[in-house]
Amino acid sequence: MTWLPLYGLFYAAVTLYWARVAAAENRNVETYFSAGHNVAPWISALVIAGASLSGWALLDGAARIGSAGFGLPALLQAGIALALPGVFFFKRLWLIGQRLRLSSLNEVLRAYYGSEFLVVFATVVAVLFAVAFAGLQLAALSRLVVLLTAGEVSMPVAATLLSLVLFGYVVIGGMRAVGYLGAVQAVLAATAIAGFAGFSLISLGGFGALNSGLAALAADPAKAGAFIVSGVVQFTAGAGREAAALHDGTAVASLSVAFALMGFQASPLAIKMVLSTRSPRGIAAGQTWVMAGAFGGLIALCIACIGAAALVNPGLGVSGLLASLSPWFGAWLFIGLLAGVQLMAGLALITAGEALVRNLYKPWFHGRLDRRDTVNLPRIGIGLLALASVLMQGLTPVTLTVLASLALPLAFQLWTPLLGITWLRWITRPAAVTGVGFGIAGVLLTEPFGIAVLSFFGLDLPWGRAPWTIHSAAWGMAANLTVTLLVSAFTQRRGFGEQALEARRFLLETVRSRPRVMALRSTAWSIALAWFFLAVGPGLIFGNYAFLGPDGSWPLGMPSLWGWGLMFWVAGLGLVWFLSYKMEMASPLAGEGPAYEPPPRLRIDQHQREAERLRALVITAAVGFGLVVLTALAFGR
Amino acid sequence: MSQKGPNVERSILVFSVWAVLGFFGLGCFLEGLARDLFVLSALGVGVIIAAFVAHIVINGIFATGFTAGEAALGIGAYGLLGLGFIVGAIGGEMAMADYYSGLLLFGPLAAGFLAYLLTRHGMRTAFSQFHIKPAGVQEARK
Repeated sequence: MTWLPLYGLFYAAVTLYWARVAAAENRNVETYFSAGHNVAPWISALVIAGASLSGWALLDGAARIGSAGFGLPALLQAGIALALPGVFFFKRLWLIGQRLRLSSLNEVLRAYYGSEFLVVFATVVAVLFAVAFAGLQLAALSRLVVLLTAGEVSMPVAATLLSLVLFGYVVIGGMRAVGYLGAVQAVLAATAIAGFAGFSLISLGGFGALNSGLAALAADPAKAGAFIVSGVVQFTAGAGREAAALHDGTAVASLSVAFALMGFQASPLAIKMVLSTRSPRGIAAGQTWVMAGAFGGLIALCIACIGAAALVNPGLGVSGLLASLSPWFGAWLFIGLLAGVQLMAGLALITAGEALVRNLYKPWFHGRLDRRDTVNLPRIGIGLLALASVLMQGLTPVTLTVLASLALPLAFQLWTPLLGITWLRWITRPAAVTGVGFGIAGVLLTEPFGIAVLSFFGLDLPWGRAPWTIHSAAWGMAANLTVTLLVSAFTQRRGFGEQALEARRFLLETVRSRPRVMALRSTAWSIALAWFFLAVGPGLIFGNYAFLGPDGSWPLGMPSLWGWGLMFWVAGLGLVWFLSYKMEMASPLAGEGPAYEPPPRLRIDQHQREAERLRALVITAAVGFGLVVLTALAFGR
Repeated sequence: MSQKGPNVERSILVFSVWAVLGFFGLGCFLEGLARDLFVLSALGVGVIIAAFVAHIVINGIFATGFTAGEAALGIGAYGLLGLGFIVGAIGGEMAMADYYSGLLLFGPLAAGFLAYLLTRHGMRTAFSQFHIKPAGVQEARK
């Protein structure tokens, strides 16, 4: 009991130290949100990689392997799937951000598409990450605190303490604290993963013993399903409605889970960090060597080891392992896990707080808000979000889980507007907006949240979660992409706003592909598609038997799918390297352009319109609430 | 780049090194004491020394030395642990493995500390690192 509070106090002191350093450097309120766009590239790379991994890899990834085995190999490729969006978007978004003086995804969407719907949607995604996604992981940590203190600290107390530490450093130091501390947290989190894996192996007697245990399980017909992908696709009605044969880990399930993971670096959180960085020089190295290489390796090797150890001995899950270790090691690993979760939670809180006040409240309802209040109001907002998260952890854990599962698939729907901004110039504003709308519908209709809401209103859908074993991220993207293509085809004559035209012109001039890169395009497409097909797509079926001897033995000394996963992690690292450097998608630029100077405009007094908007919002909310109550009373149950 | 930038980056690296190597080394050292395993304690000491080496390398990269806070924390922690070790040794409650582990920890650290001072500051100025002159005397010299 002594060591956890001791290490916890030390960790809290470190967070406050960095908050103080950040606050001193912030000096005035102007650099609170974006650290003066001066975060060092290597710090940014670590923070993005650490936040992408956060605590889910240990808390969820290892647990899934521990309970269901290797049937969802996309988990082993998480490092690559998480890195790819950054390779696609970060460099170009950073350039647009610098050119147009933008500091968040919300501002980029507003400047390029002029769509308030997309701004609101990005804000909702940020809030979901801050309250639900982070809250779910903090709740799991609170349960671990209860376990490690043998119940002497209750879960609400643990949740409050963990949130207070988080709230403290985010509110005091802003983005700078999130960045500076985040780099240390990312290293700690990575070490904790390696530490957990090491202790798992020591507990089982080494890597050979682990694989002997797995081989014994594979020999048991009742457990053999844990070592294979259960087909390319299964046309089931979805979880909760119809069980899949063997298990629901099909190849298409893997592909769609990879899509969901690809939502993180398209989310407002990751892009906030990118736009706070002083130079794009670290993007290629960060995405290739830090995210796909180091963190990807940790997932493919260490998380798989932890999960496999729990598969062999269910007592060796994360919580079981923490409880069985010496208190100093247990406390150290717990702090590492906490650091990973708080890294993502801190980034999410500051992004959500800024989005709510600076990107929604101020432009719509209070344009005359001065700079000091523009910082102080988000601070209050961050406090309220943290409080909401703590309350939901204790009072409505099921709702928290349901909302948390929306964060990644909804963030993935931002791919189409981001592709429109960075690569596919033919995606028009109406297409991006309508596509995202349909994408949201696709996600909600295949997630428990949407199904439960419709059921509450008396409409029972004939499918459950993830019908046909396809994750909601893919259902949403199927709808999103189809509508985007169709609407784009019909609205090509619609123009873009002034800032969008400037962004398009600037990108065209700055990142024009050289002939050598153009010549490699078909190669890039081929190896990217091949990697997706074999590593996370239908080709996973080959992985079931690729490293299986004629007598069913494992020539590599490990399950065939694990060996397949490791092989394609290395191939994926090569793919990320090829795209980043050879295709120059994320490689550094020789020079940086000056900021764009928009033509001066007269500022119109918006006071009257803001008051009208506020009135309209209140009336709409009241009418909407009334309609919801009436509908629920009439048809609901 | 401002002076503040590199110092912050140096601090981040120092914190990371100690959060990883320092605490892992401490854990191994304590585990060795708890299990009376000298080899494990020696591994812990080795990792702690590696953390020191990494810290000095970082200092070298950023062309700086230990900050006053770092020196105070290091010497304070060393003093407290040393006191605990001496009290334990006098009380006679230590197993031989614990005793050797303690000697192994404090010996190289003390020797390394002196070597660092001597190589960095020279024989004479090394002493001055502890001889803090009152502000009045410093002003009078100027």
